[in-house]
Amino acid sequence: MATALGTISAIDRELAERRVDPQTGEPIQRTSVMTHIAWVPTQWVEAAEDVLTGLADRHPSRTIVLVPDPEAEDGIEATAEVAQFPLGNGRQVCVETIRVRLNGSRAEVPASVVEPLLLPDLPVFLRWRGVPPFGEGPFDQLVDVVDRLIVDSTEWPGLPGPYVHLAGIFDRVVVSDIAWARTSRWRPQLASLWPGIADVKAIEVEGTEAQANLLAGWLRSRLRHDVELQHTQSDRLVGVKVDGEPAPFPPGDPPDPADLLSDELDRFTRDRVYEDAVRAA
Amino acid sequence: MTATEPKQQQENPLLEGLQLQRTPDPCVLVIFGASGDLTRRKLFPALYSLAVRRLLPEKFAVVGVSRSAESDDEFRERMKHAVQEFGRDEFKEDVWNWLADGMCYVATDFADEAGEDHISAVLNGLDRSRGTAGNRVYYLAVPPDAISTLLHEIGERRSAEGWTRIIIEKPFGHDLESAQELNEEIKRHFSEKEIFRIDHYLGKETVQNLLALRFANGIFEPIWNRQFVDHVQITVAESIGIEGRSAFYERAGAIRDVFQNHLLQLLALTAMEPPIDFSADSVRNEKVKVLRALHTPGPKNVVRGQYGRGYIEGEEVPGYREEPGVAPESMTETYVAAKLYVDNWRWADTPFYVRAGKRLARRETTIAIEFKRAPHPPFEIVDEEGLRPNVLVCHIQPDEGVSLEFLAKVPGQGMMLRAVHMDFLYGPTFRMGIPEAYERLLLDCFLGDATLFTRADEVEEQWSLVDAIVAPWRRDRPSFPNYAAGTWGPAGSDELMKRDGRTWRRR
Repeated sequence: MATALGTISAIDRELAERRVDPQTGEPIQRTSVMTHIAWVPTQWVEAAEDVLTGLADRHPSRTIVLVPDPEAEDGIEATAEVAQFPLGNGRQVCVETIRVRLNGSRAEVPASVVEPLLLPDLPVFLRWRGVPPFGEGPFDQLVDVVDRLIVDSTEWPGLPGPYVHLAGIFDRVVVSDIAWARTSRWRPQLASLWPGIADVKAIEVEGTEAQANLLAGWLRSRLRHDVELQHTQSDRLVGVKVDGEPAPFPPGDPPDPADLLSDELDRFTRDRVYEDAVRAA
Repeated sequence: MTATEPKQQQENPLLEGLQLQRTPDPCVLVIFGASGDLTRRKLFPALYSLAVRRLLPEKFAVVGVSRSAESDDEFRERMKHAVQEFGRDEFKEDVWNWLADGMCYVATDFADEAGEDHISAVLNGLDRSRGTAGNRVYYLAVPPDAISTLLHEIGERRSAEGWTRIIIEKPFGHDLESAQELNEEIKRHFSEKEIFRIDHYLGKETVQNLLALRFANGIFEPIWNRQFVDHVQITVAESIGIEGRSAFYERAGAIRDVFQNHLLQLLALTAMEPPIDFSADSVRNEKVKVLRALHTPGPKNVVRGQYGRGYIEGEEVPGYREEPGVAPESMTETYVAAKLYVDNWRWADTPFYVRAGKRLARRETTIAIEFKRAPHPPFEIVDEEGLRPNVLVCHIQPDEGVSLEFLAKVPGQGMMLRAVHMDFLYGPTFRMGIPEAYERLLLDCFLGDATLFTRADEVEEQWSLVDAIVAPWRRDRPSFPNYAAGTWGPAGSDELMKRDGRTWRRR
């Protein structure tokens, strides 16, 4: 277990030391395409680690995992790791993971901890687990320092209510929703029903609440008329009926969570179709 | 959209923002030369990778054609092993079974009319059983002398339904006259848009990235010209020998094997003007302008070489004349270097040094843009060469990526300068498998997109230059071999650069 680091400069020193190959003494090439911040309340730590494991290999980046613990005594406790991946020809690249526990009042000011750790001139992505506390300090601060916010509204209870708050930040930060990405195999199937689907009155969705609301919002916003939603709960999207008729099942297997997050990390521009779907959900 | 417009005529609003994969029409791929190495090492692994990604049409079939006797099952089994050995994707039985279900094999001589009729009958049967709708892609992976016959036979039997596309492997002819004859044969039966002359280099991601680098970034194009570029070096170096292809190589040599196609295509992409769009004709129009503007180099500006015995990766390898099937007095070149000029406004007086060879020190394909040096160094320069120039290197293979060399101050007292590199490497940046060139090119052909294939006039321009270069070669007999395997080519190649006060890049 690595010793906890209590300051930003200690984190920097630790990373600098770890970027040297202990056997050869040679510096290891660091390849970063972004800074990836993950806001991970304690209950999400395990799920977040699983996804990060699948991600590090595909999006070499500096990942900063923020675990807020407002009940603890003030301070930060951090660890810094460097993981190496073979490149072939005996060369390796390294990626960095910094895990920071924001204890006590530090959980209220995460931006001040994160800003000195951002890699210069690279895009910054923020993955927020659970429902963001829209309008509250920590979330608002981080939104203002990142280029893209990634959420998974599947994790949100009480939908579609939170979508109203999400729509309120579209002009401040580019938003990706993994729940929306999970509908990507189904949308071309529904689009293929054009023009028969043009006057659809109701859809029945067997999937998560987020997928059901987003698909209904998508149809409403694109077709410019109301579409009634009937939802049957399932942990993944397994069926859509259009006015009682089943839509064709999409080919292939659904992507895993790391693939979905990875795909979102490849995008840099606003998704207006998604934004419209959220507003109409 | 108007209220009175029928829905069928309105644009589908649900398509907005969807990243739809292009899916080809149903079709049959007919591979002539199915028993050859290309089919085994490249074509079937590429087809399998496309199948893994669901990029092939649902109604699809492959017919292998070759002289060797083989049953459908034997053909399937041989290709299955090929996919397992050479494929880049994990082997999945269900994907393979899907592909194998649509595979069959016809053993026939290409010039045998009865055999060709049999192929037609098989294809018509597949149209009925697989729903391939008369759409045909013919892949001619055959020796050059068989191409003309095949074009005639296919043309005579072309399906009345569906579309026909022909993929022709390089070399397309062996000189300008033979290339023109082939193009004439093509014109008798097919239109140019039905012909896909393949140069697999154009299917490489890194070659396409050259276009992205130049035309998607604002910083490079303004300095991509004679005002800022001192010279360009293009290297296509192989460490392997002729790998048992003596019959082909003795006739072709380095100039027909690599210079005429890969090297000139890389040069054209490096020197071309921005196309107005990425359509097949726009890109190829710009490339052909460059090829037409190439000034024929005089004999002093061309160097030939042939490798002798030497060492590759510590192992002794035979000289070219000792290779099986090669004449002991062979005058075939295994190395060629040239100084070329593109006579146009952008590149006037800017040399393009190109070289290609076998049994060189290592495998490497690069395009190096060497910029002019800073005009006046305000520092005391220790290095007797003075300030080193900035170099932008596009690494086509291996180490795919782009690097920029520039000078930086060495920390400490004084103003010591050292060359440093900014690297973009495909591997660590995208961490995904780079598609094989043949995957992209096969898919493009299935989709009817000829952007990355060579047009008739391009090929003819390439041969025109090659013919002019080789004409004087008939009169002289250089002292071959003139470089040892495992080195960087003949001394004359270094002399070519030295005369201009330059050197080849070594790394």
